[in-house]
Amino acid sequence: MSSISKSEKAYIQSSLLSDPPLRADGRGLTDFRTVALESGVAPLANGSARVSIGRNAYDGGGGTEVVAAAKLEVETVGDGEGVDGGRVVCSVSCSPTAYPLLSSNALDDLQHDMTSLLHATLSHPTIRPQNLCILPGKKSWLLNLDVIIFSDAGNIFDAIFMAARAALWDTKVPRTRSVQYRAKKSDRKDATQAMDVDEATHTGSALDTRETVQVSDFELPDYWDEGEPLDGRQTWPVCLTLNLLPTSHFLDATLQEEASVPLKLLVLYSFQSDTPPLLRSMRLLGTGVSDLVQVKSLLKDGEKYARIVWTALEGKLKDEDLRRNQKARERFLNR
Amino acid sequence: MAQSAGDRRRINGPEESFSPVFDDDEEDIKLKTQRSRAAGDIRPIFLQPGLISQANGSAYIETDKTKIACAVYGPRQTKTTTYSEKGRLNVEVKFTPFSCMRRRAPIRDAEDRSLAVSIHQAIVSSIRLELFPKSTIDVFITIIENDGIEGCIASASVAASTALADAGIEMLGLVSACSAAIVGDDIHLDPSEAEARASSGTVILACMPALDNVTSVWQSGHMTADMALKCMERCHERCIDIHSIVAQSLLEHRTAA
Repeated sequence: MSSISKSEKAYIQSSLLSDPPLRADGRGLTDFRTVALESGVAPLANGSARVSIGRNAYDGGGGTEVVAAAKLEVETVGDGEGVDGGRVVCSVSCSPTAYPLLSSNALDDLQHDMTSLLHATLSHPTIRPQNLCILPGKKSWLLNLDVIIFSDAGNIFDAIFMAARAALWDTKVPRTRSVQYRAKKSDRKDATQAMDVDEATHTGSALDTRETVQVSDFELPDYWDEGEPLDGRQTWPVCLTLNLLPTSHFLDATLQEEASVPLKLLVLYSFQSDTPPLLRSMRLLGTGVSDLVQVKSLLKDGEKYARIVWTALEGKLKDEDLRRNQKARERFLNR
Repeated sequence: MAQSAGDRRRINGPEESFSPVFDDDEEDIKLKTQRSRAAGDIRPIFLQPGLISQANGSAYIETDKTKIACAVYGPRQTKTTTYSEKGRLNVEVKFTPFSCMRRRAPIRDAEDRSLAVSIHQAIVSSIRLELFPKSTIDVFITIIENDGIEGCIASASVAASTALADAGIEMLGLVSACSAAIVGDDIHLDPSEAEARASSGTVILACMPALDNVTSVWQSGHMTADMALKCMERCHERCIDIHSIVAQSLLEHRTAA
């Protein structure tokens, strides 16, 4: 996003291409800056996370800062855009402080582009969680995933998807119980005395052969936790941005490095134990050109790096789960 | 930019509109997704450069039910006063209100930026923008009929590249693009809307066959990396065929004029 002079571009490019490659902060080509992640940062959301890449360890400044939060809403199926089985809607908004040099129009365009990639990847029907359905054919959850960029110090796409994955991992879907109103047999004549009947208290007689399981509404049972995690939360992908130089590539670019490479390849992978790694999205961005042979080798390398990011993220998310549930409970008991 | 409110000066359609619902049974859906062509075949292409006389260059492309018109204006002076060393490429995509199953209200959602971005990505590296400092090349694309967004992006990229050539703008090579969808275990090239909906993943590849370059790859849905590569290779083969169609249509247009 930052505009740098031609000579600075050439300087950065030639040092990246030199042997051994040199980067301003002393990292290797495939090294990441420190990534910090915290989940549950927004108490009113159903799931949230905050990711920062490359934050300065001394004063906590600098770095790419992204917050993602998921909010669930009940939606009637067939009414407007509601679909059976629920849906996921994503949005990215950029705080003007992250891009002080951009005009408001350019900022709108930028967040629209980010939104379209996030939405296209995460709301694809093949990745939709199974438990967004409340009443089949009637009500479902609409999952709104909102990502806010507070500052951008490079590698924004990786940060967005990391935050999105962590927020979705953290999301709890409230438990629901189907409810049906049915007149008691003895009260049939007095239809005004409808009763609230649950599955447990079945009052239909054995002679009543009509199978009319017509669930009409749902209620939220009062329970001690916030609900169940989203189904298939392991499947949410991680993003990896490969910045392409003529002969090599590097990861986790800073703003200056981003401005001095013409082309980058975004690959989004999800890894599951039982299936081979799946490519969830791939985009070539920039003004340069590539070729099939290069893309092939990049995909292979990308998979390797993405698996490392995936493993690290998975470990951190499990740690966060532990910190926020088990350890919090122990702390409460040992007060 | 899309406006939130409608234009008061024009007769606006109803607030909301619904596409007719036909009660398709399983058979009908199967028939719709069934292809009349082989998995590796693309829809026949009709390409005509120079249809819009007031534009510097233009092209009209028709692939079965997808119909797209494209006009190129420029290179002309950039309106803003800021100096730019390289030329700017500006791509705008508009849908006609009747182009999709559901009516697209004019102004409000007839402009699609994500399509424009993907077409921009496909053609930007083919143009020698360093030759046009301080100037802008405007590419206006109108989608008259839409049958699958993947096909639209691919066809619009081809049309845009043809129109740029027709306008006499210096390029490194002609861009051709092709899409593929994975339906079951098969790769179907150039999927229609119904096929794309039934697929588990799609790939759009744009390349310059003359230079053996890839300018854009857009993949969505899920597939293994090997499958994605296979899709890209198949698309690349078709792109070479499309390239000869583009070259031929440009040649015919020149000799006729």
